[in-house]
Amino acid sequence: MAKIVVLGAGISGHTAAAFLKKKLGRVHEVVVVSPGAYYQWIPSNIWVGVGKMTIDQVRFKLQPVYDRWKIDFRQAKATAVFPEGDQAMDRPYISIEYTGEARRGETDKIDYDYLVNATGPKLNFEATEGLGPNKFTHSVCSCDHAVATWGALQTCMLRMEEGEKLRFLIGTGHPTATCQGAAFEYALNVAYEIKSRGLLHMAEITWISNEYELGDFGMGGAFIKRGGYVTPTKVFSESIFAEYGIRWIKRAGVSKIEEGLAHYETLDGQMHTQPFDFAMLIPAFAGVGLKAFDKVGEDITAKLFAPSGFMKVDADYSGKAFEDWSVDDWPSVYQNPAFANIFATGIAFAPPHQISKPIKSPNGTLITPAPPRTGMPSGVIGKIVALNIVDQILTGRTVFKHRASMGKMGAACVVSAGFSLLKGNAATMTVFPIVPDWQKFPEWGRDLNYTMGEAGLAGHWIKLFLHYMFIHKAKGYPFWWLLPE
Amino acid sequence: MAKNIVRGYYDESYPPIPTGATRFWRRNLLWQAWRFIVLNLKIMRIIVGGHS
Repeated sequence: MAKIVVLGAGISGHTAAAFLKKKLGRVHEVVVVSPGAYYQWIPSNIWVGVGKMTIDQVRFKLQPVYDRWKIDFRQAKATAVFPEGDQAMDRPYISIEYTGEARRGETDKIDYDYLVNATGPKLNFEATEGLGPNKFTHSVCSCDHAVATWGALQTCMLRMEEGEKLRFLIGTGHPTATCQGAAFEYALNVAYEIKSRGLLHMAEITWISNEYELGDFGMGGAFIKRGGYVTPTKVFSESIFAEYGIRWIKRAGVSKIEEGLAHYETLDGQMHTQPFDFAMLIPAFAGVGLKAFDKVGEDITAKLFAPSGFMKVDADYSGKAFEDWSVDDWPSVYQNPAFANIFATGIAFAPPHQISKPIKSPNGTLITPAPPRTGMPSGVIGKIVALNIVDQILTGRTVFKHRASMGKMGAACVVSAGFSLLKGNAATMTVFPIVPDWQKFPEWGRDLNYTMGEAGLAGHWIKLFLHYMFIHKAKGYPFWWLLPE
Repeated sequence: MAKNIVRGYYDESYPPIPTGATRFWRRNLLWQAWRFIVLNLKIMRIIVGGHS
Protein backbone atom coordinates (compact mmCIF):
# COMPACT_ATOMS: atom_id res chain seq x y z
CA MET A 1 0.00 0.00 0.00
CA ALA A 2 1.29 3.45 -0.93
CA LYS A 3 0.64 6.58 1.09
CA ILE A 4 0.44 9.93 -0.67
CA VAL A 5 0.33 13.20 1.26
CA VAL A 6 -1.01 16.32 -0.49
CA LEU A 7 -0.18 19.66 1.12
CA GLY A 8 -2.89 22.18 0.31
CA ALA A 9 -6.52 21.90 -0.81
CA GLY A 10 -6.72 24.73 -3.32
CA ILE A 11 -7.36 24.31 -7.04
CA SER A 12 -4.18 22.28 -7.61
CA GLY A 13 -4.04 20.23 -4.39
CA HIS A 14 -7.75 19.40 -4.41
CA THR A 15 -7.57 18.32 -8.05
CA ALA A 16 -4.50 16.16 -7.35
CA ALA A 17 -6.11 14.53 -4.29
CA ALA A 18 -9.36 13.86 -6.16
CA PHE A 19 -7.63 12.08 -9.06
CA LEU A 20 -5.23 10.19 -6.78
CA LYS A 21 -8.09 8.71 -4.77
CA LYS A 22 -10.28 8.03 -7.78
CA LYS A 23 -7.52 6.14 -9.60
CA LEU A 24 -5.95 4.38 -6.60
CA GLY A 25 -9.10 3.36 -4.76
CA ARG A 26 -9.18 2.06 -1.20
CA VAL A 27 -5.99 0.00 -1.45
CA HIS A 28 -3.81 3.11 -1.21
CA GLU A 29 -4.02 5.98 1.24
CA VAL A 30 -4.38 9.68 0.37
CA VAL A 31 -3.93 12.30 3.08
CA VAL A 32 -4.68 15.99 2.53
CA VAL A 33 -3.18 18.58 4.88
CA SER A 34 -4.66 22.07 4.64
CA PRO A 35 -4.85 24.84 7.26
CA GLY A 36 -8.33 25.94 6.18
CA ALA A 37 -11.57 24.02 6.66
CA TYR A 38 -12.93 25.19 3.31
CA TYR A 39 -12.28 24.80 -0.40
CA GLN A 40 -12.70 28.14 -2.12
CA TRP A 41 -13.16 28.85 -5.80
CA ILE A 42 -10.86 31.86 -5.77
CA PRO A 43 -11.74 33.32 -9.23
CA SER A 44 -15.26 34.12 -7.96
CA ASN A 45 -13.94 36.10 -4.98
CA ILE A 46 -14.17 39.09 -7.32
CA TRP A 47 -17.97 38.81 -7.20
CA VAL A 48 -17.89 38.50 -3.39
CA GLY A 49 -15.83 41.71 -3.34
CA VAL A 50 -18.62 43.62 -5.10
CA GLY A 51 -21.50 41.97 -3.23
CA LYS A 52 -22.78 39.85 -6.12
CA MET A 53 -22.08 36.53 -4.41
CA THR A 54 -22.07 35.49 -0.78
CA ILE A 55 -19.07 33.83 0.78
CA ASP A 56 -20.89 30.48 0.88
CA GLN A 57 -21.45 30.56 -2.87
CA VAL A 58 -17.70 30.43 -3.48
CA ARG A 59 -16.63 27.99 -0.74
CA PHE A 60 -17.65 24.71 0.89
CA LYS A 61 -16.39 22.55 3.74
CA LEU A 62 -13.75 20.01 2.75
CA GLN A 63 -14.41 17.42 5.47
CA PRO A 64 -17.73 16.05 4.08
CA VAL A 65 -16.28 15.75 0.56
CA TYR A 66 -13.15 13.99 1.81
CA ASP A 67 -15.23 11.71 4.05
CA ARG A 68 -17.21 10.66 0.99
CA TRP A 69 -14.02 10.10 -1.02
CA LYS A 70 -12.31 8.24 1.90
CA ILE A 71 -9.49 10.76 1.98
CA ASP A 72 -7.83 11.40 5.35
CA PHE A 73 -8.17 15.17 5.88
CA ARG A 74 -6.03 16.93 8.47
CA GLN A 75 -6.84 20.58 9.09
CA ALA A 76 -3.28 21.62 9.79
CA LYS A 77 -0.34 23.51 8.36
CA ALA A 78 2.83 21.71 7.35
CA THR A 79 5.90 23.10 9.09
CA ALA A 80 8.80 20.95 7.83
CA VAL A 81 9.68 18.16 5.43
CA PHE A 82 12.00 15.30 6.40
CA PRO A 83 12.54 13.59 3.01
CA GLU A 84 14.93 11.00 4.49
CA GLY A 85 13.14 10.63 7.80
CA ASP A 86 15.21 11.21 10.92
CA GLN A 87 16.93 9.25 13.71
CA ALA A 88 13.56 8.27 15.19
CA MET A 89 11.59 7.56 11.99
CA ASP A 90 13.09 5.64 9.11
CA ARG A 91 10.59 6.89 6.53
CA PRO A 92 10.13 10.29 4.90
CA TYR A 93 7.62 12.40 6.75
CA ILE A 94 6.25 15.89 7.24
CA SER A 95 5.66 17.62 10.53
CA ILE A 96 2.37 19.45 10.92
CA GLU A 97 0.63 21.75 13.36
CA TYR A 98 -3.15 21.46 13.64
CA THR A 99 -5.19 24.61 13.00
CA GLY A 100 -8.76 23.30 13.46
CA GLU A 101 -10.59 24.16 16.67
CA ALA A 102 -10.51 20.65 18.14
CA ARG A 103 -6.72 20.16 18.00
CA ARG A 104 -5.36 23.70 17.50
CA GLY A 105 -1.65 23.95 18.27
CA GLU A 106 -1.04 20.16 18.51
CA THR A 107 1.86 18.86 16.42
CA ASP A 108 2.09 15.57 14.55
CA LYS A 109 4.15 13.64 12.00
CA ILE A 110 2.75 12.09 8.81
CA ASP A 111 4.93 9.66 6.89
CA TYR A 112 4.60 9.32 3.12
CA ASP A 113 5.68 7.45 0.04
CA TYR A 114 4.89 10.41 -2.21
CA LEU A 115 4.51 14.08 -1.29
CA VAL A 116 2.61 16.61 -3.42
CA ASN A 117 3.36 20.17 -2.37
CA ALA A 118 0.36 22.28 -3.45
CA THR A 119 0.41 24.85 -0.68
CA GLY A 120 -0.22 27.82 -2.94
CA PRO A 121 1.45 31.11 -2.04
CA LYS A 122 1.92 33.06 1.12
CA LEU A 123 0.17 36.40 0.54
CA ASN A 124 3.23 38.47 1.35
CA PHE A 125 1.59 41.71 2.51
CA GLU A 126 4.60 42.31 4.77
CA ALA A 127 6.78 42.91 1.70
CA THR A 128 5.10 46.32 1.28
CA GLU A 129 4.85 48.55 4.34
CA GLY A 130 1.26 49.41 5.18
CA LEU A 131 -0.27 46.97 2.66
CA GLY A 132 -3.05 44.58 3.55
CA PRO A 133 -6.49 44.07 5.07
CA ASN A 134 -5.41 44.85 8.62
CA LYS A 135 -3.59 47.98 7.49
CA PHE A 136 -4.55 50.52 4.83
CA THR A 137 -5.62 48.52 1.76
CA HIS A 138 -8.09 45.78 0.90
CA SER A 139 -7.70 42.45 -0.88
CA VAL A 140 -9.78 39.90 -2.80
CA CYS A 141 -7.14 37.15 -2.54
CA SER A 142 -9.26 35.07 -0.15
CA CYS A 143 -13.02 34.96 0.36
CA ASP A 144 -12.68 36.39 3.89
CA HIS A 145 -10.74 39.33 2.48
CA ALA A 146 -13.33 39.77 -0.27
CA VAL A 147 -16.19 39.98 2.26
CA ALA A 148 -14.39 42.72 4.19
CA THR A 149 -13.58 44.53 0.93
CA TRP A 150 -17.26 44.52 -0.06
CA GLY A 151 -18.10 46.05 3.32
CA ALA A 152 -15.63 48.88 2.71
CA LEU A 153 -16.89 49.38 -0.84
CA GLN A 154 -20.49 49.66 0.38
CA THR A 155 -19.40 52.43 2.77
CA CYS A 156 -17.81 54.24 -0.19
CA MET A 157 -21.06 53.92 -2.19
CA LEU A 158 -22.98 55.54 0.68
CA ARG A 159 -20.45 58.36 0.94
CA MET A 160 -20.74 59.05 -2.80
CA GLU A 161 -24.55 58.98 -2.59
CA GLU A 162 -24.24 61.67 0.09
CA GLY A 163 -22.28 63.83 -2.33
CA GLU A 164 -18.66 63.02 -1.49
CA LYS A 165 -16.22 62.52 -4.38
CA LEU A 166 -13.97 59.52 -3.78
CA ARG A 167 -10.75 58.14 -5.24
CA PHE A 168 -10.37 54.41 -5.89
CA LEU A 169 -6.97 52.80 -6.42
CA ILE A 170 -6.84 49.22 -7.72
CA GLY A 171 -3.92 47.14 -9.00
CA THR A 172 -0.65 45.67 -7.75
CA GLY A 173 0.79 46.51 -4.34
CA HIS A 174 4.39 45.42 -4.90
CA PRO A 175 6.96 45.95 -7.70
CA THR A 176 6.96 42.19 -8.51
CA ALA A 177 3.34 41.27 -7.71
CA THR A 178 1.42 39.09 -10.15
CA CYS A 179 -2.29 38.24 -10.61
CA GLN A 180 -2.98 41.41 -12.61
CA GLY A 181 -5.97 39.63 -14.17
CA ALA A 182 -7.80 39.43 -10.83
CA ALA A 183 -7.11 43.09 -10.03
CA PHE A 184 -8.13 44.07 -13.57
CA GLU A 185 -11.43 42.23 -13.14
CA TYR A 186 -12.03 43.81 -9.77
CA ALA A 187 -11.38 47.31 -11.20
CA LEU A 188 -13.97 46.69 -13.95
CA ASN A 189 -16.50 45.34 -11.45
CA VAL A 190 -16.05 48.32 -9.14
CA ALA A 191 -16.49 50.69 -12.11
CA TYR A 192 -19.56 48.73 -13.27
CA GLU A 193 -21.17 48.84 -9.81
CA ILE A 194 -20.48 52.56 -9.41
CA LYS A 195 -21.83 53.23 -12.91
CA SER A 196 -24.97 51.14 -12.32
CA ARG A 197 -25.74 53.29 -9.27
CA GLY A 198 -25.34 56.46 -11.36
CA LEU A 199 -22.33 57.55 -9.31
CA LEU A 200 -19.56 57.48 -11.90
CA HIS A 201 -19.27 61.28 -11.81
CA MET A 202 -18.49 61.03 -8.07
CA ALA A 203 -15.63 58.52 -8.49
CA GLU A 204 -12.10 58.74 -9.79
CA ILE A 205 -10.91 55.18 -10.46
CA THR A 206 -7.19 54.62 -11.03
CA TRP A 207 -5.41 51.43 -12.02
CA ILE A 208 -1.83 51.13 -10.75
CA SER A 209 0.39 48.35 -12.08
CA ASN A 210 3.94 47.10 -12.31
CA GLU A 211 3.31 46.10 -15.94
CA TYR A 212 5.47 47.78 -18.59
CA GLU A 213 2.30 48.20 -20.62
CA LEU A 214 -1.30 47.40 -19.77
CA GLY A 215 -2.30 43.90 -20.88
CA ASP A 216 1.08 42.41 -19.90
CA PHE A 217 -0.54 40.24 -17.15
CA GLY A 218 2.87 38.83 -16.20
CA MET A 219 3.02 36.97 -19.51
CA GLY A 220 4.89 39.65 -21.44
CA GLY A 221 1.57 40.65 -23.02
CA ALA A 222 0.27 38.97 -26.14
CA PHE A 223 -0.64 39.78 -29.72
CA ILE A 224 -4.14 39.20 -31.04
CA LYS A 225 -5.99 39.61 -34.34
CA ARG A 226 -8.42 42.49 -34.05
CA GLY A 227 -10.14 44.74 -36.58
CA GLY A 228 -7.95 43.59 -39.45
CA TYR A 229 -4.69 44.11 -37.55
CA VAL A 230 -2.45 42.15 -35.22
CA THR A 231 -2.46 44.33 -32.12
CA PRO A 232 -0.91 44.04 -28.65
CA THR A 233 -3.15 43.27 -25.67
CA LYS A 234 -2.13 46.75 -24.47
CA VAL A 235 -4.64 48.23 -26.94
CA PHE A 236 -7.37 45.79 -25.90
CA SER A 237 -6.85 46.46 -22.17
CA GLU A 238 -6.54 50.23 -22.50
CA SER A 239 -9.69 50.32 -24.62
CA ILE A 240 -11.68 48.52 -21.91
CA PHE A 241 -10.36 50.83 -19.18
CA ALA A 242 -11.10 53.93 -21.27
CA GLU A 243 -14.64 52.68 -21.86
CA TYR A 244 -15.20 52.40 -18.10
CA GLY A 245 -13.55 55.76 -17.35
CA ILE A 246 -10.62 54.18 -15.51
CA ARG A 247 -7.30 56.05 -15.61
CA TRP A 248 -4.01 54.18 -15.23
CA ILE A 249 -0.50 54.38 -13.86
CA LYS A 250 1.87 51.80 -15.34
CA ARG A 251 5.50 50.75 -14.71
CA ALA A 252 4.87 51.49 -11.03
CA GLY A 253 6.27 49.60 -8.06
CA VAL A 254 4.26 50.37 -4.92
CA SER A 255 6.77 50.68 -2.08
CA LYS A 256 4.76 51.91 0.91
CA ILE A 257 1.19 52.63 1.93
CA GLU A 258 0.06 55.17 4.47
CA GLU A 259 -3.52 55.94 5.40
CA GLY A 260 -5.02 57.22 2.14
CA LEU A 261 -1.69 57.50 0.34
CA ALA A 262 0.27 55.07 -1.85
CA HIS A 263 3.97 55.69 -2.46
CA TYR A 264 5.38 54.25 -5.66
CA GLU A 265 8.45 54.32 -7.84
CA THR A 266 8.25 54.29 -11.62
CA LEU A 267 10.72 52.61 -13.95
CA ASP A 268 12.36 55.97 -14.69
CA GLY A 269 13.43 56.07 -11.03
CA GLN A 270 11.02 58.87 -10.02
CA MET A 271 9.16 58.60 -6.71
CA HIS A 272 5.46 59.52 -6.66
CA THR A 273 2.40 59.38 -4.43
CA GLN A 274 -1.22 58.61 -5.23
CA PRO A 275 -3.98 59.53 -2.75
CA PHE A 276 -6.96 57.19 -2.32
CA ASP A 277 -10.12 56.70 -0.29
CA PHE A 278 -10.39 53.00 -1.16
CA ALA A 279 -7.59 50.74 -2.36
CA MET A 280 -7.51 47.09 -3.41
CA LEU A 281 -3.92 46.12 -4.15
CA ILE A 282 -2.59 42.61 -4.80
CA PRO A 283 0.43 41.67 -2.64
CA ALA A 284 3.60 39.90 -3.72
CA PHE A 285 3.50 36.10 -3.46
CA ALA A 286 6.12 34.00 -1.66
CA GLY A 287 6.50 30.37 -0.68
CA VAL A 288 4.74 29.41 2.56
CA GLY A 289 8.05 29.03 4.41
CA LEU A 290 8.33 25.23 4.67
CA LYS A 291 11.66 24.04 6.06
CA ALA A 292 13.46 20.81 5.10
CA PHE A 293 15.88 18.68 7.13
CA ASP A 294 17.97 15.61 6.34
CA LYS A 295 18.28 12.44 8.42
CA VAL A 296 20.73 13.95 10.90
CA GLY A 297 18.76 17.18 11.27
CA GLU A 298 20.83 19.40 8.95
CA ASP A 299 18.83 22.17 7.27
CA ILE A 300 18.48 21.28 3.56
CA THR A 301 15.81 23.87 2.75
CA ALA A 302 17.96 25.35 -0.04
CA LYS A 303 18.16 21.91 -1.67
CA LEU A 304 14.38 21.66 -2.00
CA PHE A 305 13.31 25.27 -2.29
CA ALA A 306 14.32 28.34 -4.30
CA PRO A 307 15.16 31.54 -2.33
CA SER A 308 11.58 32.73 -2.96
CA GLY A 309 10.32 29.79 -0.88
CA PHE A 310 8.76 28.03 -3.87
CA MET A 311 9.80 24.42 -4.49
CA LYS A 312 12.38 23.49 -7.11
CA VAL A 313 11.15 21.11 -9.80
CA ASP A 314 12.38 19.85 -13.20
CA ALA A 315 13.06 23.37 -14.52
CA ASP A 316 16.25 25.12 -15.62
CA TYR A 317 17.24 27.40 -12.73
CA SER A 318 20.65 28.32 -14.18
CA GLY A 319 19.69 32.00 -14.42
CA LYS A 320 20.11 32.64 -18.14
CA ALA A 321 19.85 36.11 -19.70
CA PHE A 322 16.32 37.08 -20.81
CA GLU A 323 17.24 36.73 -24.49
CA ASP A 324 18.39 33.13 -23.93
CA TRP A 325 15.27 31.92 -22.16
CA SER A 326 13.30 29.13 -23.80
CA VAL A 327 10.05 27.28 -23.22
CA ASP A 328 12.22 24.21 -22.59
CA ASP A 329 13.37 25.82 -19.32
CA TRP A 330 9.87 25.29 -17.93
CA PRO A 331 9.03 22.12 -16.01
CA SER A 332 6.73 19.44 -17.42
CA VAL A 333 6.42 16.80 -14.66
CA TYR A 334 7.00 18.98 -11.55
CA GLN A 335 9.28 16.52 -9.80
CA ASN A 336 11.80 17.76 -7.25
CA PRO A 337 15.34 17.16 -8.57
CA ALA A 338 16.70 16.11 -5.17
CA PHE A 339 13.91 13.73 -4.10
CA ALA A 340 12.08 11.76 -6.78
CA ASN A 341 9.01 11.17 -4.61
CA ILE A 342 8.33 14.88 -4.05
CA PHE A 343 6.34 17.02 -6.49
CA ALA A 344 5.22 20.66 -6.45
CA THR A 345 2.09 21.84 -8.27
CA GLY A 346 0.25 25.08 -8.95
CA ILE A 347 1.73 28.22 -7.44
CA ALA A 348 3.96 26.14 -5.13
CA PHE A 349 6.54 25.34 -7.83
CA ALA A 350 9.39 27.77 -8.47
CA PRO A 351 9.23 29.20 -12.00
CA PRO A 352 12.60 29.19 -13.78
CA HIS A 353 12.32 32.84 -14.79
CA GLN A 354 9.92 35.69 -15.31
CA ILE A 355 7.90 35.68 -18.53
CA SER A 356 7.70 39.48 -18.67
CA LYS A 357 11.09 41.05 -19.31
CA PRO A 358 12.71 41.92 -15.96
CA ILE A 359 13.52 45.63 -15.89
CA LYS A 360 15.07 47.62 -13.05
CA SER A 361 14.71 51.33 -12.31
CA PRO A 362 17.90 53.45 -12.07
CA ASN A 363 17.59 52.92 -8.28
CA GLY A 364 17.91 49.16 -8.79
CA THR A 365 14.26 48.31 -8.07
CA LEU A 366 12.97 45.40 -10.14
CA ILE A 367 9.56 46.51 -11.43
CA THR A 368 8.20 43.51 -13.35
CA PRO A 369 5.28 41.16 -12.72
CA ALA A 370 6.08 37.63 -11.55
CA PRO A 371 4.79 34.84 -13.81
CA PRO A 372 1.16 33.82 -13.19
CA ARG A 373 0.45 30.16 -12.32
CA THR A 374 -3.11 30.43 -11.12
CA GLY A 375 -6.40 28.85 -12.24
CA MET A 376 -6.28 26.66 -15.30
CA PRO A 377 -2.52 25.81 -15.19
CA SER A 378 -2.80 24.96 -11.48
CA GLY A 379 -5.60 22.46 -12.08
CA VAL A 380 -3.92 20.85 -15.09
CA ILE A 381 -0.60 20.50 -13.25
CA GLY A 382 -2.34 18.96 -10.21
CA LYS A 383 -4.03 16.41 -12.46
CA ILE A 384 -0.95 15.30 -14.41
CA VAL A 385 1.15 14.98 -11.23
CA ALA A 386 -1.58 12.77 -9.72
CA LEU A 387 -1.78 10.63 -12.88
CA ASN A 388 2.01 10.17 -12.98
CA ILE A 389 2.12 9.09 -9.32
CA VAL A 390 -0.77 6.68 -9.94
CA ASP A 391 1.02 5.27 -12.97
CA GLN A 392 4.22 4.81 -10.98
CA ILE A 393 2.43 3.08 -8.09
CA LEU A 394 0.35 0.77 -10.29
CA THR A 395 2.94 -0.15 -12.93
CA GLY A 396 6.30 0.61 -11.34
CA ARG A 397 7.23 2.67 -14.44
CA THR A 398 9.72 5.45 -13.72
CA VAL A 399 9.26 7.22 -17.07
CA PHE A 400 6.45 9.73 -16.79
CA LYS A 401 3.58 9.37 -19.21
CA HIS A 402 1.84 12.69 -18.49
CA ARG A 403 3.36 16.10 -19.11
CA ALA A 404 2.10 19.69 -18.91
CA SER A 405 4.56 22.50 -19.53
CA MET A 406 3.42 26.12 -19.38
CA GLY A 407 5.37 26.46 -22.62
CA LYS A 408 2.97 24.02 -24.27
CA MET A 409 -0.18 24.80 -22.32
CA GLY A 410 -2.71 27.55 -22.96
CA ALA A 411 -4.83 29.54 -20.55
CA ALA A 412 -8.08 31.43 -20.63
CA CYS A 413 -8.82 34.49 -18.54
CA VAL A 414 -12.37 35.81 -18.42
CA VAL A 415 -12.73 39.25 -16.90
CA SER A 416 -16.40 39.80 -16.26
CA ALA A 417 -18.24 42.86 -14.95
CA GLY A 418 -21.80 42.68 -13.63
CA PHE A 419 -23.73 39.54 -12.82
CA SER A 420 -27.04 39.21 -14.66
CA LEU A 421 -27.31 37.14 -17.85
CA LEU A 422 -28.40 40.10 -19.97
CA LYS A 423 -26.50 43.01 -18.44
CA GLY A 424 -22.83 43.51 -17.92
CA ASN A 425 -19.87 42.75 -20.08
CA ALA A 426 -16.82 40.56 -20.16
CA ALA A 427 -13.43 40.52 -21.78
CA THR A 428 -12.34 37.01 -22.71
CA MET A 429 -8.65 36.41 -23.31
CA THR A 430 -7.03 33.17 -24.32
CA VAL A 431 -3.32 32.60 -24.88
CA PHE A 432 -1.55 29.62 -26.36
CA PRO A 433 1.01 28.88 -25.06
CA ILE A 434 1.27 30.75 -21.74
CA VAL A 435 5.06 31.09 -22.05
CA PRO A 436 5.80 32.51 -25.52
CA ASP A 437 7.52 29.99 -27.78
CA TRP A 438 9.66 32.09 -30.12
CA GLN A 439 11.10 29.01 -31.86
CA LYS A 440 7.70 27.59 -32.83
CA PHE A 441 5.95 30.94 -33.38
CA PRO A 442 8.82 33.24 -34.40
CA GLU A 443 6.67 36.20 -35.41
CA TRP A 444 4.34 36.66 -32.42
CA GLY A 445 5.53 34.11 -29.85
CA ARG A 446 2.11 32.44 -29.72
CA ASP A 447 -0.46 30.78 -31.96
CA LEU A 448 -2.73 33.60 -33.17
CA ASN A 449 -5.58 31.15 -33.83
CA TYR A 450 -5.81 30.41 -30.12
CA THR A 451 -4.52 33.69 -28.70
CA MET A 452 -7.40 36.09 -28.78
CA GLY A 453 -9.30 38.75 -26.92
CA GLU A 454 -12.87 39.87 -27.33
CA ALA A 455 -15.53 41.67 -25.34
CA GLY A 456 -19.18 40.70 -25.09
CA LEU A 457 -21.91 38.91 -23.17
CA ALA A 458 -20.59 35.49 -24.30
CA GLY A 459 -17.59 35.85 -21.99
CA HIS A 460 -19.92 36.86 -19.20
CA TRP A 461 -21.91 33.66 -19.67
CA ILE A 462 -18.69 31.62 -19.78
CA LYS A 463 -17.60 33.09 -16.44
CA LEU A 464 -20.92 32.17 -14.81
CA PHE A 465 -20.88 28.73 -16.43
CA LEU A 466 -17.30 28.11 -15.23
CA HIS A 467 -18.21 29.09 -11.67
CA TYR A 468 -20.98 26.50 -11.38
CA MET A 469 -19.06 23.86 -13.36
CA PHE A 470 -15.93 24.08 -11.19
CA ILE A 471 -17.90 24.08 -7.93
CA HIS A 472 -19.73 20.96 -9.22
CA LYS A 473 -16.39 19.34 -10.05
CA ALA A 474 -14.73 20.29 -6.76
CA LYS A 475 -17.65 18.91 -4.74
CA GLY A 476 -17.26 15.61 -6.55
CA TYR A 477 -20.78 15.59 -7.92
CA PRO A 478 -21.71 13.03 -10.64
CA PHE A 479 -19.24 12.75 -13.52
CA TRP A 480 -16.92 15.39 -11.99
CA TRP A 481 -13.90 13.68 -13.55
CA LEU A 482 -15.20 14.32 -17.07
CA LEU A 483 -15.08 18.09 -16.57
CA PRO A 484 -11.89 19.77 -17.78
CA GLU A 485 -9.50 21.63 -15.52
CA MET B 1 -20.10 79.55 -21.61
CA ALA B 2 -19.52 75.82 -22.14
CA LYS B 3 -15.88 74.77 -22.10
CA ASN B 4 -14.35 72.88 -25.00
CA ILE B 5 -14.12 69.14 -24.53
CA VAL B 6 -10.46 68.25 -24.97
CA ARG B 7 -9.91 64.72 -26.23
CA GLY B 8 -6.21 64.22 -26.00
CA TYR B 9 -3.15 64.85 -23.89
CA TYR B 10 -4.05 62.04 -21.43
CA ASP B 11 -3.22 58.33 -21.79
CA GLU B 12 -6.89 57.44 -21.56
CA SER B 13 -7.73 59.67 -24.55
CA TYR B 14 -6.00 57.50 -27.12
CA PRO B 15 -7.30 53.90 -26.95
CA PRO B 16 -9.99 52.82 -29.42
CA ILE B 17 -13.51 53.28 -28.03
CA PRO B 18 -16.29 50.97 -29.27
CA THR B 19 -18.81 52.43 -31.67
CA GLY B 20 -22.56 51.98 -31.26
CA ALA B 21 -22.46 49.05 -33.70
CA THR B 22 -19.74 47.29 -31.70
CA ARG B 23 -21.72 47.74 -28.50
CA PHE B 24 -24.82 46.37 -30.26
CA TRP B 25 -23.08 43.17 -31.38
CA ARG B 26 -21.58 42.70 -27.91
CA ARG B 27 -25.12 42.47 -26.54
CA ASN B 28 -26.89 40.80 -29.47
CA LEU B 29 -28.10 37.49 -28.03
CA LEU B 30 -27.90 35.49 -31.26
CA TRP B 31 -24.40 36.66 -32.12
CA GLN B 32 -23.22 36.20 -28.53
CA ALA B 33 -24.72 32.69 -28.39
CA TRP B 34 -22.58 31.85 -31.45
CA ARG B 35 -19.50 33.43 -29.83
CA PHE B 36 -20.25 31.44 -26.64
CA ILE B 37 -19.95 28.22 -28.65
CA VAL B 38 -16.83 29.38 -30.50
CA LEU B 39 -15.05 30.59 -27.34
CA ASN B 40 -15.89 27.40 -25.44
CA LEU B 41 -14.55 25.27 -28.28
CA LYS B 42 -11.33 27.31 -28.36
CA ILE B 43 -10.91 27.01 -24.60
CA MET B 44 -11.54 23.24 -24.76
CA ARG B 45 -8.99 22.89 -27.55
CA ILE B 46 -6.46 24.79 -25.44
CA ILE B 47 -7.07 22.59 -22.38
CA VAL B 48 -7.00 19.28 -24.25
CA GLY B 49 -3.93 20.20 -26.30
CA GLY B 50 -2.06 21.59 -23.30
CA HIS B 51 -1.20 18.33 -21.59
CA SER B 52 -0.57 14.74 -22.51
